[in-house]
Amino acid sequence: MLLTQNVLDIINENIAIIAPLLIIQLVLMITALVSLFRAETTNGPKWMWALIILFINTIGPIAYFIFGRSHES
Amino acid sequence: MQWLTIYKKECLESARNYKWVWVPLVFILFCIMDPLTTYYLPQILESTGGLPDGATFDIPTPPAANVFMMSISQINTLGVLVIALITMGTIAGERKSGVAELILVKPVSYTAYVTAKWAAHVTLVLLSIFVGLIASWYYVQLLFGDVSFIHALSTAGFYGLYIIFVISISLFMNTWTKTPGLVLFLTISIIMILNLVTSVFSHLLEWSPTNITSYLPSLLRTGEVGQDLWLASLFTIVTIVLLLFGAIQTLKRKEIV
Repeated sequence: MLLTQNVLDIINENIAIIAPLLIIQLVLMITALVSLFRAETTNGPKWMWALIILFINTIGPIAYFIFGRSHES
Repeated sequence: MQWLTIYKKECLESARNYKWVWVPLVFILFCIMDPLTTYYLPQILESTGGLPDGATFDIPTPPAANVFMMSISQINTLGVLVIALITMGTIAGERKSGVAELILVKPVSYTAYVTAKWAAHVTLVLLSIFVGLIASWYYVQLLFGDVSFIHALSTAGFYGLYIIFVISISLFMNTWTKTPGLVLFLTISIIMILNLVTSVFSHLLEWSPTNITSYLPSLLRTGEVGQDLWLASLFTIVTIVLLLFGAIQTLKRKEIV
């Protein structure tokens, strides 16, 4: 409890510094999701990629963009 | 004209693949991660705990220039991997799926095909790295102290040359095999071997392209471009031209089967 309080304090004090980092991660995630929904087919099931993008920070969207998109068009 | 058409087609394809969105974002993330974690290291250690009560140790704040170099070394590992991953299929994949055949059946010269693809990737990656490094410079300036913007820019410029070299290796490998995975493997192994050989014989190979990174810290501090750095850059440019020429020649000889 004390520990999370501490972390929250740090985040609150430094929000201006950390904000760009969070925004970039959010934009990355949203672009990956938009791309996923618009794609007709992907390598592997779509719901799996959705989970990967949502729950694996930063690496998830990158992995989807590199490996998830199928190039058969 | 023809060259511009292929170049535009490549850029359009990158835009459709969302590469123009995610590659710059990823490079910004890579670049600002290190300044941020270095800055917050004391707090992170404190809040994650694991230290006995009363244990204190001071972590000296690294000089601003060193933190900026951390971002560059981050690009040197993860960034190069991402570059190799996005370029691995650019010719190899098109040859495998037959798109290259469709393009080269028209009166398109091999030279235009290879150099336009190369230029399109260079544009995307260099822009991303510059944006990332400017973000890193901003954070270093904010959190650690003064680094001359002009010095940082010239450092980024010379580093960009090395990145172009990496892209050229990948493009050259693209013409040798049709399997994108193999292209990735060959590109990464060649860069690793070059790094290893250069660090072992560093006093003999002052002109090696991988040495550019090791000359950058002094450029960043003093702003002076040393003779070794000029030599290495010149050698890198020559190698890039040779790699592109080699790529065109291999593609010609294979005649796209």
